[in-house]
Amino acid sequence: MSRSLDTLPPGDARGAPLRRIARGIRRAVNEVDFNRFRFWLQLFFFALLVYGGFLGLDLGHSLPTFSCVYNGEGRPGMCYLAPLQHQLAQPWPKLFGEAGITVLSGFLVFFLWFIALNKGWCGFVCPLGAIQDWLTALRKRSGFRFARYSQATFESLTWIKYVLLALMFLIPLGIGAGYVSHEMSAPYCMICPARMIVPLFAMDFKQLAVDFSSSPKLVLTTLGALTTGTFLIGSFVKKRFWCFFCPMSAFHYLLSKPALFRLVKDGSKCTRCGDCYSVCDLQIKEIADDVKSPQIMMDDCIVCLKCVAACPEEGALKACFAGMTVFESTEEGFIKRMEKGAKA
Amino acid sequence: MNGPFDAKRPHLSDAKKPHLIEAAAPPPAATVVTAKKEPLPFGRGKQAQEAERTLNHIVDDFDDNPQAMQYFYELFRKVYCRGESIAMEGVRIGTTCIHAPEELVYAMGATPVRLCNGSYHYDQIGAEFMPAKSCSLVKATLGMLNSEDPVPRVGKLDLIVNPTTCDQKKKASAMMQDMGHPVFDLELPNVKESEASRVYWRRSVKQFAEAIRGVTGKRLTRKNLRAAIARTQRAERAFRVLDGFRLASPSVFLGKDAFLVVNAYFFDDLDRWCDAVEALNIELKERLGKAVRAAQKKAPRIIFTGSPPIFPNLKLPLLIERSGGVVVSDETCSANRMLYDMTAVDEWLVNDMVDSLADKYLKPCTCPIFTKNEDRRRRLLELVQKFQADGVVYQAFSGCQVYEMEQRSVAKTLNENGVPLLYVETDYSPDDEGQLSTRVEAFLESIKTRKRNRA
Repeated sequence: MSRSLDTLPPGDARGAPLRRIARGIRRAVNEVDFNRFRFWLQLFFFALLVYGGFLGLDLGHSLPTFSCVYNGEGRPGMCYLAPLQHQLAQPWPKLFGEAGITVLSGFLVFFLWFIALNKGWCGFVCPLGAIQDWLTALRKRSGFRFARYSQATFESLTWIKYVLLALMFLIPLGIGAGYVSHEMSAPYCMICPARMIVPLFAMDFKQLAVDFSSSPKLVLTTLGALTTGTFLIGSFVKKRFWCFFCPMSAFHYLLSKPALFRLVKDGSKCTRCGDCYSVCDLQIKEIADDVKSPQIMMDDCIVCLKCVAACPEEGALKACFAGMTVFESTEEGFIKRMEKGAKA
Repeated sequence: MNGPFDAKRPHLSDAKKPHLIEAAAPPPAATVVTAKKEPLPFGRGKQAQEAERTLNHIVDDFDDNPQAMQYFYELFRKVYCRGESIAMEGVRIGTTCIHAPEELVYAMGATPVRLCNGSYHYDQIGAEFMPAKSCSLVKATLGMLNSEDPVPRVGKLDLIVNPTTCDQKKKASAMMQDMGHPVFDLELPNVKESEASRVYWRRSVKQFAEAIRGVTGKRLTRKNLRAAIARTQRAERAFRVLDGFRLASPSVFLGKDAFLVVNAYFFDDLDRWCDAVEALNIELKERLGKAVRAAQKKAPRIIFTGSPPIFPNLKLPLLIERSGGVVVSDETCSANRMLYDMTAVDEWLVNDMVDSLADKYLKPCTCPIFTKNEDRRRRLLELVQKFQADGVVYQAFSGCQVYEMEQRSVAKTLNENGVPLLYVETDYSPDDEGQLSTRVEAFLESIKTRKRNRA
């Protein structure tokens, strides 16, 4: 435990120099100005995922985050959802024949990418997530308070992402089987706010148009325009508005069991003060109330680790990578962050 | 807000019990049964004598008290033994429970004073208001508020905020109003787990903010609330550092001093209190470095829980430490529960700050007035583990039903985890001291034997 040095007996500060350095690093990490750190990291990944392509970067076609396929030149790799929907739309004999190998290998690469960071992809890497956080910052600066769902609304909306995920599989499969028009291809991409918004950052405005070429296209692109509008307004008033409905988030959750990066809770150290819940962008109540489950990442969680930074109890919440603690809650870290907030 | 000043004074006028108010009244007005109309020096009043006795025990029964504790010893002598005024400038708001968010009070330019009283003298006066078997704390608080010139002399209160916690405190509200005090009932839910209770409580806290505004005339702004949170943050940090020293084994700091320090927070100036605690922390750090011991190496380490020890009623913690044990931590609303929890704010805007404050005052609270007490039992186990405690002493004031009722479940949990428990039902009266001391000594002795057998 990295209890504040003020309270440690001086004898404890000695020890092997290597251990002292390790402790120093650990302390620096745990007491970091977390929001600022996260802001810069998100900015870095945003630049990478929106402009990386211009530098010739190619990370493949199975990225577990919105490296939007419609951002042609700029993207350094592809959001997996686009190739997945296209692959699933192949005629069934082909899909369940030789093409099946491509589908499976694509999924495998996606899965490997995913388990490295778990939903940390959402909290730290996703460009759409970063945009939402910037809109939040804009609102904060204008002095408006955020909106919250009531618990009942939360519960009645939380399953939407699973419906979107199911449709994202079923519609392409329907196309492959011949039940659904080809014009419906990549249905989720068509309504995903990333399609319209991410290319804008590369000065590409083509996606803003509504496609009148056929009625399914018209419906989908109109829906897309609506979700984008909702996204912009929603994210301004509600923190991480879209993540709550995102099928990628649902997909992640279903695969998260073997993930290496984890959010872990030690319930015996929890006082249930609810500090973690009150900073949670996704309003996840379990983070504060559940003192039994060590694996506390819920389906809505984006592993942004704000809860860890806002927990005053030593080691009650931590982020672990393959069993190793990377970042954990400490009294000193909490106090530093909150004192900074109160003084700023 | 309740219309307070038009309330009639109750029939139990002070004239009816002249022998009881002598210590509370200013010296010229005081009377003694035998020497009629002769002013009694303050220091000879019952209240002052009681305080003097406790302070003497705290100071003289232990060698080598930290130098920085002198500030607190002197503060209590000044306030309780000499009856000096500590009235703050400006609007003063009395609180009868830790549930009243003091940051809101500070933000709007008023000063909070915690009214919970620990004096047997006032307990006797307050007995008139409550049934025979009632909580000493509530009776003493009522007794003090009904006195002409109550000690501590915190000055005239512009408002008393009374959170609706236990039944006795709830019913005390109307009595305080009848005494002529303006009272605001801060509505607290009975359940703290549900989302409905959170919503309800957040609304109550906002109403409280409105009530303070009604008294001070100042608005709650982002700037003043932020500054107020920064002030209490300093106190919480100082408390947490102090708390950290109690982890040391053998102990460098005793529970009797810890209770006194936190009791001082009830009425002391916030910044002065922080200065004093920070100075104490510096000294304790030095003492820890020099391996100064405040107690014997094998002294049984005790967690104190239950009804809150409030000066001068530090009877039980003092008994424990005079008998060779050390109170290493506590789970009481007059100490740990008051300053341990800290507020986390995500967005430093008024609304989010108020909501976060509200959460802090409700969610981590382990008060027995709530339906469930799972958190309290978990907290006790955590404290036992963290402070390497050997046993738990559970104080229940006779008549404090909620603590009495929780005894069973707490005992069960501790028993299951192999933690010895001493359950003590007592009140403010000094009469049971002899009997209690026997029980405490036997308990500590049994812990020592246990430790020896294990070693």
